[in-house]
Amino acid sequence: MDLVQVQNLCKTYPDAVQGEFRALDNVSFVAKAGEVFGLLGPNGAGKTTALRILATILKPTSGTVRVFNFDVTCQADYVRHSIGFVSNNTAIYDRMSAWEMVEYFGRLYALPDDHLYPRMEKIFRRLQMDDFKECPGAKMSTGMKQKTSIARALIHDPPVLIFDEASLGLDVMVARALQSIVLDLRDQGKCIIYSTHIMREVERLCDRVAIVYRGKVVDSGSLEDLAERHKQNDFEEMFFQLLMLDDVGRAEKSPALGMPPLNGAIATAMGVSPQ
Amino acid sequence: MNWSHVKLIFHREVRDQLRDRRTMFTICILPLLLYPLMGMVMMQVAQFHREQHVTIGIVGYENWPDEFPLITEVKNDKIHWRKLPADGALVDSFDKSEMQPKSGMRDEPGTESSSVSSAPMVAEKLLRQMESDAIIWVPESFKDSIAQDSLVVLSNQRWERSQLAVQHLRERMNDWHANWLRNHLKATEVGATILDPPKVRQIDASDAETKRALVWSKILPFVMLVWALTGAFYPAIDLCAGEKERGTLETLLCSPARRKEIVWGKLLTVMCFSIGTALLNLASMHTTASIVMSQFAGLGAGDMVAAMGPLPLHSMGWLILLVIPISAMFSALALAVACLARSTKEGQYYLMPLLLVGMPLVMLPMIPGVVLSPGTSIIPVTGAVLMSRALMDGEYGHALLHLPTVFTVTVLCCLLAVRWAVRQFESESVMFRDVERASMKQWIRNVWRQREDTPTTNEAVLCGLLILVCLFFGRLSLGGMSLTWTSIVQSTIVIQLAMILAPALIMATILTRSVRKSLRLHRPDGIELAGAVLLAISLHPTYAAFAAMVGAEYKLGEQTIGMLMQFDSIIASTPIWSVLLVLALIPAICEELAFRGFLFAGLLRNGGHVRAILLSSILFGLSHGVLQQTITAATLGLLIGWIAYRTGGVVCSIAFHCIHNSLSMLLAAHSSRGSGVSHWLAWVLEQNDGRIAYTNSWCTLSVGVSIALIAWFATKKSFTVSLNLRETEPRRNSSESKLRFGKKAFLP
Repeated sequence: MDLVQVQNLCKTYPDAVQGEFRALDNVSFVAKAGEVFGLLGPNGAGKTTALRILATILKPTSGTVRVFNFDVTCQADYVRHSIGFVSNNTAIYDRMSAWEMVEYFGRLYALPDDHLYPRMEKIFRRLQMDDFKECPGAKMSTGMKQKTSIARALIHDPPVLIFDEASLGLDVMVARALQSIVLDLRDQGKCIIYSTHIMREVERLCDRVAIVYRGKVVDSGSLEDLAERHKQNDFEEMFFQLLMLDDVGRAEKSPALGMPPLNGAIATAMGVSPQ
Repeated sequence: MNWSHVKLIFHREVRDQLRDRRTMFTICILPLLLYPLMGMVMMQVAQFHREQHVTIGIVGYENWPDEFPLITEVKNDKIHWRKLPADGALVDSFDKSEMQPKSGMRDEPGTESSSVSSAPMVAEKLLRQMESDAIIWVPESFKDSIAQDSLVVLSNQRWERSQLAVQHLRERMNDWHANWLRNHLKATEVGATILDPPKVRQIDASDAETKRALVWSKILPFVMLVWALTGAFYPAIDLCAGEKERGTLETLLCSPARRKEIVWGKLLTVMCFSIGTALLNLASMHTTASIVMSQFAGLGAGDMVAAMGPLPLHSMGWLILLVIPISAMFSALALAVACLARSTKEGQYYLMPLLLVGMPLVMLPMIPGVVLSPGTSIIPVTGAVLMSRALMDGEYGHALLHLPTVFTVTVLCCLLAVRWAVRQFESESVMFRDVERASMKQWIRNVWRQREDTPTTNEAVLCGLLILVCLFFGRLSLGGMSLTWTSIVQSTIVIQLAMILAPALIMATILTRSVRKSLRLHRPDGIELAGAVLLAISLHPTYAAFAAMVGAEYKLGEQTIGMLMQFDSIIASTPIWSVLLVLALIPAICEELAFRGFLFAGLLRNGGHVRAILLSSILFGLSHGVLQQTITAATLGLLIGWIAYRTGGVVCSIAFHCIHNSLSMLLAAHSSRGSGVSHWLAWVLEQNDGRIAYTNSWCTLSVGVSIALIAWFATKKSFTVSLNLRETEPRRNSSESKLRFGKKAFLP
């Protein structure tokens, strides 16, 4: 079942320099239950914007986005009940303990007490969070914060989970733990949208990916399909080539921009936005 | 709206704030400590003045008349007197003539210390050597001729003790002089009783309690409102900018809580702390002041204590009632402003501008003579403060009379502030504002490249403010001119062309593609033009009555009335065509092009015709310097704005404005000239107390005509509007997307 359907999604921001900045340009993809869908791209490619639209935080400029068959624009309330959002900045309230934080969101989702507390205990046990239940957010390590974030996103048992660069800044141990949690959730039949720019993670986690660059989907499909299509088994190499090709195409289309294609890709590979 | 969400968010935020030590310190601990500390300092200062002993040296005390000694033996005297012989070696070492007041400053060679040449330096050296805080020099001649101004007091005003010594000495001298005078008069026929002032028995209608309430009612609202704003701002920053900073805002926004519910939850929290801080400050200040005052009471400052003693309980009640709506408004404002900030640090920068906007409203009621009246009751905050003061004074009837206005204004302001806060939360560009990437150069280039046919809303508002600033400085520099026809012509032309038209014209040229469209210069319809002219004529009697009403409510000062009389006589003695040219046509063209042209075009965007009419008329009103004119002009501006909106251009409003001004000038000139009313105008005008006024029958008739004309304008499909629509229709789509850009570019 397609739990997430994105069709011709466009998003433009007002921008002081260009007047208008196209963050997303005709992006389309679908994600099914029981799969990890990777949203892949360099920094500033538009991943976060796409995920924020999925999470109803931003409104699309045009195109349709349906989550769990609810439209994000006109059925935002239902969409919010069917997603769990884990962002990259491990958002935790400094002056709230892990337990209080999860409890707070559980109550916002209107879970009744006799349902909420057993579920919280279950999640805390599964994520091995019982040690720092009472620890205030300000004193948590990054790993603890990320776990709390995940617990918070899981509390209402949503069918769709969104991880926006969730592994950013995590050490190897915690990143591994996160990956196993994600795979565990996939096996439970959840639909997981996982955005990242780390190739190893993609290879380990994602069933299918969409490569996003400068607001456009450059290519998408399962890892095997992509490898076959581009005759390249090294995924990182393939990713780099795809971006470079896109830069070349762009430079040919509009020579007036005068951007050397190679420099653009290299800059991108280094994590610097070429503009 | 789901109130359980609001409640949840409110509970969480309050708990969060209570756990935050910084906020708690500023909001709760600081007020509790501040006033006792201030009280302590005050007590210390008082004690210093009370207990500080000063030493005063008297050089040549033997020259003082013996029968009236300066030094009387008093118990616990604050002054230590040191008598120094006039011919002592110490004194001799200086040139006495330096000390003589009449001799001035002389630099005589041959003195022992030639380096010490000026009187101040001599004084300082002498004070130090004699270890005195002040020295009084009694010359030998004093005994014989007391009345002569021959005493010299040396002091050093840099030293606090010396200031105190001089103060004491002066008091002692005054006492001594009164005594001396009394004794001398006693010996004469006149007698000493002549010195006694007539005895007055004062009967005060107010009791001590009411008087006390009055004193407190001036100070406490101010203190309370400043703290209500401060108390609202710090939590607001933490709740908005802080949440953005931590990244939790995103999480909250994708939770089931809707934006409106989030805003209400946060607003209630901020309000809670705002009210709490205000009340804590109130209690702390009041308690401390009462204690300090009771200390003073023991020292014999009874009057002051009677004035500043504890406030009666019911007065406190009114104050507490006042703080609730004002806190609500400040909280919503603080929340909306705090939304703009990306970080708590940035949020701190916004406190000052907010205070600058809020302060005048809070300060206004403190100005002596400002009381609750129809005029003041419509000013937000000020009206509420004056209302609470009236209630504290026990003037319930007066307060009740203005209750509807104050209540409506306060509620309206609160709702507007809350709506703004909700809008801020709903706006993506505010909530997810990135660091501006643009450099100044790129931004300017972009503004140039992106300019459109008509100005953006922000450009329009900027233009309005620019005009006001220009006018402020322009009026200041033109202020000193004498009132002659030449000066009137000069100042009118400078103000109209340079301060009002020029900003609009320059901005239209630089910031837009079409000056004509920016100034809304469209081909008018002849019938509409005629309608505008007729309306101006028919509405003038109503306007004159309204202006008279405003003049009665807000009395003009004597000086202003004198100036107006002079002004009228000047225009009466000037050829009428030049008066109409300078005072009717030029202002009509310049003001309309600026206010109903450029400003209007910008504000009209996005279907903002209500905004355009309201804001342009307010700015138009403010551009007239005098309060009475501001009120009448702003009211008339509403109608002109509406005509400008209905007719789709500026030409009809220019015609209306010009005819309106011409009628006012003609009436004034004819009244001043004293010439009678010509017979064929007798049905319209009559001579009344030497002034020409409209006849009652024409007044009644004109109202009818005006209503008919307004109805005609309201129902008529304007020719110019449809012309404009045809012109702009194809471009609409492109301009709408750029509009949002304009909004962003103006953000700080």
